[in-house]
Amino acid sequence: MSGWIALSNITVRFGALTAVDAVSLDVDKGEIHAVVGENGAGKSTIMNVLFGLLVPDEGTIAIGGTPHAWKTPQDAIAHGIGMVHQHFMLQDSMTVLENVVLCAEPVNRLGIVDFATARAKLEDIIATYGIRSRLDARVADLSVSERQVVEILKVLYREAEVLILDEPTAVLTPQETRSLFEILANFKAAGKAIVIITHKLDEVMEVADTVSVMRGGRLVSSGPREATSKDEIARGIIGGDLPAPRARGPYAPGAPVLKVTDLVARGEGRPVGPVSLEVRKGEIVGVAAVAGNGQAELIETIVGLRRSAGGTVSLDGQDLAGKDVAARRALGLSYIPTDRQRVGLALEARVSENALIGREMESRFRRGLFQIGSQIDAFAREVIARYRIKVAGPRAKTSSMSGGNKQKLVVGRELSRETPLVIAENPTWGVDIGAIDFIHGELVRMRDAGHAILLVSTEIDEILALSDRIVVMFEGRITGSFAASDADRFEIGALMTSHGSGGIQTRDAS
Amino acid sequence: MMATDTGFAARLGPWVAVIAWLFAILLVLMIAVGASLDQAVSGFFNGAFGGRNSAYLMTTIGRSALIIGMALAVLISFRAGLYNIGGEGQLVVGGIVAALVGIYLPGPGPMVLAVGILAAMAAASLWAVLAGALQVYLGVPLLIGSLLLNYPARYISSYLVGHPFRDVAAGLPQTHMVPQGAWIPNFPGTRLDMGIILVLLAAVFTIVYAYRTVPGYRTRMNGLAPDFARASGLPVKRLVFQTLAMSGAIAGLVGAIAVFGVHYRFSDGMLVQPLYAWTGIIAVLMVGMVPWAVPLSGFFFAAVQTGAAGMERTAGIPKEIGLIMQAAIILFVASRLAVVNLAGSARGEGNDDRA
Amino acid sequence: MIALDVLLDPALLQSIPRFLTPILLAALGGALCERAGVFNIGLEGFILTGAFCAVLGAFFFGSPVMGAISAMAGGVLMALIFAEFHLRRPGDPIVVSIAINLLAAGLTLYLLSAIFGVTGAFRDPGIQGFAMIHIPVVRDIPVIGQLFSGQSPLYYIALVVAVAMHFFFRFHRLGLRMRAAGENPQGLVVGGVDPRIVRLYALVACGMLCGLAGAQLSIANVTLFVDNMSAGRGWIAVVAVLLTRGNPLAVLGIALVFGFVDSLSFRVQGYGAPQQFTDMMPYLATLAVLIGLSFWRKTRQTRA
Repeated sequence: MSGWIALSNITVRFGALTAVDAVSLDVDKGEIHAVVGENGAGKSTIMNVLFGLLVPDEGTIAIGGTPHAWKTPQDAIAHGIGMVHQHFMLQDSMTVLENVVLCAEPVNRLGIVDFATARAKLEDIIATYGIRSRLDARVADLSVSERQVVEILKVLYREAEVLILDEPTAVLTPQETRSLFEILANFKAAGKAIVIITHKLDEVMEVADTVSVMRGGRLVSSGPREATSKDEIARGIIGGDLPAPRARGPYAPGAPVLKVTDLVARGEGRPVGPVSLEVRKGEIVGVAAVAGNGQAELIETIVGLRRSAGGTVSLDGQDLAGKDVAARRALGLSYIPTDRQRVGLALEARVSENALIGREMESRFRRGLFQIGSQIDAFAREVIARYRIKVAGPRAKTSSMSGGNKQKLVVGRELSRETPLVIAENPTWGVDIGAIDFIHGELVRMRDAGHAILLVSTEIDEILALSDRIVVMFEGRITGSFAASDADRFEIGALMTSHGSGGIQTRDAS
Repeated sequence: MMATDTGFAARLGPWVAVIAWLFAILLVLMIAVGASLDQAVSGFFNGAFGGRNSAYLMTTIGRSALIIGMALAVLISFRAGLYNIGGEGQLVVGGIVAALVGIYLPGPGPMVLAVGILAAMAAASLWAVLAGALQVYLGVPLLIGSLLLNYPARYISSYLVGHPFRDVAAGLPQTHMVPQGAWIPNFPGTRLDMGIILVLLAAVFTIVYAYRTVPGYRTRMNGLAPDFARASGLPVKRLVFQTLAMSGAIAGLVGAIAVFGVHYRFSDGMLVQPLYAWTGIIAVLMVGMVPWAVPLSGFFFAAVQTGAAGMERTAGIPKEIGLIMQAAIILFVASRLAVVNLAGSARGEGNDDRA
Repeated sequence: MIALDVLLDPALLQSIPRFLTPILLAALGGALCERAGVFNIGLEGFILTGAFCAVLGAFFFGSPVMGAISAMAGGVLMALIFAEFHLRRPGDPIVVSIAINLLAAGLTLYLLSAIFGVTGAFRDPGIQGFAMIHIPVVRDIPVIGQLFSGQSPLYYIALVVAVAMHFFFRFHRLGLRMRAAGENPQGLVVGGVDPRIVRLYALVACGMLCGLAGAQLSIANVTLFVDNMSAGRGWIAVVAVLLTRGNPLAVLGIALVFGFVDSLSFRVQGYGAPQQFTDMMPYLATLAVLIGLSFWRKTRQTRA
């Protein structure tokens, strides 16, 4: 018995790598189908095949029993398939309306777009499904969840019968996730088929009718949710037993290392802040915020990459005013940036060159102005071994490594400096479970050894798993501050999207 | 993209196609002027490598010294991610300063030569740093600022040799000659000046700097990933000025060699018309900014130019065919290599939010 | 008010459009590329080719309209070469631009001697240039008359294109898609539109506009072709594009400033300043505008 949409024996190869290996998947109308798996398990790849972005090397797609071979997304769209990508594909400078019609414009003979017709159709859709959106707002001014709504509107505008959502909740707070699921339930009731790619098992258990698990490009299992359990799915994803919960030393914070007082950072448009916070020896302070709420500007200002517009930052009692990045690093600061591809690493350089950066003036690596290649390679080998980085050797090109290993190189380079303060910004963004586990372990080890760690993450789970204290930011301000033991996901989620109920929420035990 | 099981022939294929294209273009151009193929070919090789006592070969080598020099100036800045395309202005500034020092500084010849070269390097260096300052302090992208500075350099030098420092008796807009004692000597028995030795020294310096030194390493990291360099605490502003100063100094050296070794004076347009600076840029781009290959590609482009002049002499083909060949080569080769990504980094204007 | 006297000097006003038109046309072409995400700094080569082809057409067909049409064809040819090496093959746009500029310099001189047997310059009474258009009534209004009457037809075309392009980017399907190709091309890919095709359209239109810019130089301002006739105007157009981020009305404003400075320095030459200094003025003015704008942006940001 095959479903309304039947993917059979799909195989996709990228050069020597087989990203999807003979996977067959059925999706039915009026169901929410969750596809789960690790990064690199092939779930996005197979959905890109269904959407026509990739042409499979083998296998067929059939809808309602008719086989199809897409050449471009246009073909898939024409047959009622729509996709909301993990990274939104919107035009920031355009309005919601312009974004929605783009590539499906109603035009007259001269190619002039008929915005009135489009608006009427869109208002109809909005009314039908109970969606809220401001059609004339510029996308640049929208929050992340509002942008996601625009992506969904685009799909509905094209009269899609199948909605594919790639990691739709990764950027949402628990409240926003809940309202997304309400919209999806309306679609389901209207007889549409919905595919969600995700790695969040709680959500799967909450909304999915069918669950398919992928690992290493293969389909591990596929069946109704009632017939499986969260543990079984988790074991399927990892291909073995779950790692034991992490042991961490007792919480015994020492003297303050980083002190931020009324800091105002220059932003694009409006400034960020004022923000005050403190990180002490032996603690991890987690900053929870939806992307784009000023946490990046705050960190850049502390690191010295962005000018401050007021307030002070001190490190181990030293005022950092007027000091550049190099001086701040020398005083005892390490920085793991979000964007390892551009900020954390020079991808076209060798592994050893990336490992060396910041240390090139140390006397062991140079004789006068000349570098000592053997010493540099030896150091790179140490980092590779110590942080279990999988790479051909110190002279390999950095771009040849996987995402997880690239991130381990950044983490290794920064943590091995053993500075009093470590700033980690989304340190496990887009890496596999093994690397996440390793990096989390290293951060906790540093904390146990008495370092002060400022962790910024958009993932509430990561914040909850690592932090001793939690600070929540929204629109450039701190909206709440908790001891980790008192933290509640939903309360944090609420503070991530609003200024809270009058003033700053503080339930700091210490 | 995997080239694991493609054979040698398969990898050679595209290059054969490139060469076939180039020859087809040349053939069309030659037919257009009714030139005979074998005259053209022999004219080309004679013009590039032949002549009585290898005189043309010497011209080619002499010209390649100037092109390689300009290529080195480009190389140093491009590898640092600094798109200094104002080499022409820096070259002209170096040339005019060298000529004025050479003519008006009294003293023994060798000293005049040495001071002239150093003054030319310093002046051109300043001209390049000016473009850097426009970027760092005033937010004018280097790609544009350095280029726009070409024009004042060109017109100011043109004014200087056309009015205050003109050799009126000569009729043309040019300076007097520098005294013979300050000339760069020729290799014995040839008409090739020893300027190429200075250029080769500059090449060795550039290669060692790029691969072996700490500032070379920092420059390279800044060129490959500017955000990475900033976040890692490299002294980015200082690198900009240091690199541009070196780049300009080499361009100035080339200007001095042209004055003291080739023309013995500065005449209007003598450093602009032959497009030394632009040829230097394409010589670097053709080999994907690999330092050791730059001298080879510099020589290659010099040979294309002198060969084209030979084709004009023997086969009556306009010598601009050389320019067309250069452009076609760079189009086919550089678009195949695709190792350079200039545009991405050239667009980023200084974001003033950042410290 | 001596200053106002100089500014409203009829001869000065009359000459602004001749300096403004080539820069405006080229910069409008550049604006299309900029908005569509093609980093085209080869405008100089496009213009030069246009100037040569204009003379070619005006000479052999004896008509300035044919000159303009062949100028556009020449510009489009360069644009197609650009597209072949940058869009179809993965060539870096700066490298391709530099090659295009060299190619135009070489090709025009080569063909000049191949076709006309001359080097450096070609002038001939057989080249039919554009006649200036005198508009009745308008021509008698002070200031307006000088600015809007007695000008080359290409000037009026340029003004119309600038305004039309403003609406094109807002209301035309292709205009919207061009903006998307420049801002987030992946958004087009997932919509089933190949951004490279959109960019090809932008490049071709840019080739036409730059061709007309060249025609203004060689068959409207004068009727002859000389070596390196574009003389850096393509670079000034590039600056105008970068400064305005491809906004056509802002391009019009900037071109007006440049045109004014050009004609002013042309007038100053009449008072005996050395020619080199007046030649230098447009470039210094361009730098000054660049610097001024960056200051303006800085202060605006600080206040925010």
